[in-house]
Amino acid sequence: MKSINEVKIKRKGKKKMVGWSIAIVFIAVLGIGGTIGWSKVSREHIEAKSLPLDGVDFNKLSDGTYIGEYEGGMYKWRTNKVQVTVASGKVTDIKLISSKELSENNTYHIDLYNRVLEEQTLKVDTISGATLTSKAYLQGIENALKQAQK
Amino acid sequence: MYKETKFYKMGTVISNRVFGKHVDEVLLAAFQEVERLEGMLSRFISNSEISKMNHLSGIGYQQVSSETYELLSNGVNFSKLSNGCFDITIGPLVDFWRQSKSNRTQPNHYELKSILPLVNFIDIEFDECKKTVALKKAGQSIDIGGIGKGYAADKVIEVFKKYGMESGFTNFGGNVAVMGVKPDNSPWNIGIRHPRKENSIIGVVSVTDKSVVTSGDYQRYFIDNKGNRYHHILNPCTGYPSESGLISVTVLADSSMEADALSTIIFISGLSNVKKYLNVFPGIEVILIDKELNVYISSGIKDCFKTTKNIEVNIL
Repeated sequence: MKSINEVKIKRKGKKKMVGWSIAIVFIAVLGIGGTIGWSKVSREHIEAKSLPLDGVDFNKLSDGTYIGEYEGGMYKWRTNKVQVTVASGKVTDIKLISSKELSENNTYHIDLYNRVLEEQTLKVDTISGATLTSKAYLQGIENALKQAQK
Repeated sequence: MYKETKFYKMGTVISNRVFGKHVDEVLLAAFQEVERLEGMLSRFISNSEISKMNHLSGIGYQQVSSETYELLSNGVNFSKLSNGCFDITIGPLVDFWRQSKSNRTQPNHYELKSILPLVNFIDIEFDECKKTVALKKAGQSIDIGGIGKGYAADKVIEVFKKYGMESGFTNFGGNVAVMGVKPDNSPWNIGIRHPRKENSIIGVVSVTDKSVVTSGDYQRYFIDNKGNRYHHILNPCTGYPSESGLISVTVLADSSMEADALSTIIFISGLSNVKKYLNVFPGIEVILIDKELNVYISSGIKDCFKTTKNIEVNIL
């Protein structure tokens, strides 16, 4: 026969286990949720980074005023409308017409627009510079492989 | 139709782009041409003509091809013209610095001075009839690093032309030569790398049928155990990396070999001597950047060179 004391101890043990299980499930839910959330956010970052302007040949632009719209971001929260003016074959002005995200006081898009204005004249086919060394490239590969090794 | 290839040769990354028919054949031929030239001219390939010549230093003459002969003669002409600021007998000095780099040690001044007498283009002896060349003193060696990539770029453009290409470029790790105009009849836009901001350009020059070569202190360098930084453009007169005040020199010329040699020569000679070279080579244009990041250009490119925002240009 089991003594009363023994039974009590076992019960305590069970309670502890239940507590741990709840904690583990809670952490797992947080973890999975976080991972899904982060993967969504990072996907959005990748999307933002890789949005190309390459599709535009800045050497072949017809004069006029054009309106462009982009529905970007999760739940389209980066939706914006923009007006671009081309004069004498060059982009001369970029104006934000509407945006879900930006208020009038928020101006970080202006830097970006200035970069586009600048870049149209700086579109390059290839780059001249002090001779690159292939060793630098090989070093990169080596460093990557070092991480792969245990 | 256009196609581009990239490969590693001559110690750097080479990319070739051509527009036209049979692009695969021409790109393969261009690769084979670079491989052939490297096999002939590299001093790191033991059976190259240059290596054989270096092994015979102080002993005797080496038979060379007419191409190697031509390249060596051109090298000596640039040495004469620059009063020794450029010297293809720089091999022993390059070896000395390479050793210091791999040990990451401060170069020994006395050892360096003892090597310096070996660097002297006057000691190259040519026999034009027999097409043989010799180095007078034992221990001397030829290094065509300051001229070879330009020479090879010219040869690649020749291959493009031989295959009937109308448009294309070759880029030897920063040493660019373009052929014709782009298929839409616009000139090629060549970015000039910013000497102090990584992955950034300081301006763009628009050219057709030209070579654009840059010598800079920012790509190949090492830092010794005392924290001193040494770049790779050596002044053959002092034995040390050049300190002329210029940190980037771009030369535009019809010949890539000429642009290659002159970018090194002007880098070492400094801003005060650039006018002399512009007079001797009336076809060239230059883009110079000094330590304070002031930009100077020759007047012939004032309409086809644009800088990035907030950078002013001084016209020479």
